[in-house]
Amino acid sequence: MSGESDRVAVTLGEWPEDTDSDEGVVVNWFVREGATVDEGADLCEVQVEKVSVDVHAPAAGTLDEIVCGEDDEFARGDTLAWLEPN
Amino acid sequence: MAETIDRELTMSRAMVEAIATEMRENDEVFYMGEDVADYGGIFDSTEGLREEFGYDRVMDVPISETAYLGAAVGAAQEGMRPIAELMFVDFFGVAMDQIYNQMAKNTYMSGGNVSVPMVLTAAVGGTYNDAAQHSQTLYGTFSHLPGMKIVVPSTAYEAKGLMHNAIRDDDPVMYMFHKRLMGIGWMPAPDGPKTPVPETDYAIPFGSADVKREGEDVTIVTLGLHVHRALEAAESLAADGVDAEVIDLRSLVPLDTETVVASVEKTGNLVVVDEDYQSYGVTGEIIASVAEESLGALDSVERLALPDVPIPYARPLENEVIPDAADIETAAKRTQ
Repeated sequence: MSGESDRVAVTLGEWPEDTDSDEGVVVNWFVREGATVDEGADLCEVQVEKVSVDVHAPAAGTLDEIVCGEDDEFARGDTLAWLEPN
Repeated sequence: MAETIDRELTMSRAMVEAIATEMRENDEVFYMGEDVADYGGIFDSTEGLREEFGYDRVMDVPISETAYLGAAVGAAQEGMRPIAELMFVDFFGVAMDQIYNQMAKNTYMSGGNVSVPMVLTAAVGGTYNDAAQHSQTLYGTFSHLPGMKIVVPSTAYEAKGLMHNAIRDDDPVMYMFHKRLMGIGWMPAPDGPKTPVPETDYAIPFGSADVKREGEDVTIVTLGLHVHRALEAAESLAADGVDAEVIDLRSLVPLDTETVVASVEKTGNLVVVDEDYQSYGVTGEIIASVAEESLGALDSVERLALPDVPIPYARPLENEVIPDAADIETAAKRTQ
């Protein structure tokens, strides 16, 4: 895909405090691949130990690719999805 | 607003969105229950409400269901619009007088001098090994008693529209949400309850069943979690040449008999699926209602519900008593 270098990684920005684990699990995606989102929109909900955190869109654009689907585990800093900015 | 079109919500978030909208628009709406403020509801039914509305309008209460449900009835009669949550519907026993004699009957007993515009929310259902005192639905128990409306959402779309309608209703409404459908991290929902949900508010009227899948050969009537199990069964049935229609009742009181009868007059066959106990319950009521209206349309009838036993804790035993998609498929085939 052209312009792949322009894509922005969607990550869990702030790892929740008071958790010992460096791994989390994706609980719910609220948008599908191809969806258009505003900056700051709720993209997905992840859980680290028992703490639920929402992951927001880093920019306005199109959700290009979901890397970690529902029930997938991820590590601190992992890319959860790729966003194609407007 | 790009996300208006594309976003999907879990059932819990759709519920909360409706409650928050009503709370912003009407100062008389407030929420109380056990662990609903700081915890956000043990099944996420109030997640984020305390942060926006504060402790005066989202209240944690002591463990006395009689006290706080009674307080809700009183507040409602004085013109407020309380939403009171029974953490598990199984706990109704300690507060039943407030529910069925006060909440449900005070309008009648006062000769219409007071209304009780409250919503009683309650978590229902099993499938996660919480044993006999935390897994019941008790749909039939509450629907049997006059004076309150009973609604059961099956998806996020329904959850929001039914909640708006419940809060705006001038009479008591019991809103029974199935834990397995909420979209909680530790209790994954099946595919289905997470749906696109409009950002604008809308109300789904009570007594309007929804045909979730159209079919010609057999009518499957159900509600709550089992809407999704019935839809799964319908896919397997289709592969075997049986075209099932799936009806989601959405409310038990009032009951949309008309939609069910119209479907049975088309298909001739009726399967009713319920997660409550079989005897004296939803399955018998639906079948009797169809028989009264259109006996001649019925070629074959099946019902699936919990056998009249306490719900077992052990996973294989619980799975055995709660109808699954394969059970529904088998029952539907028996009608053919």
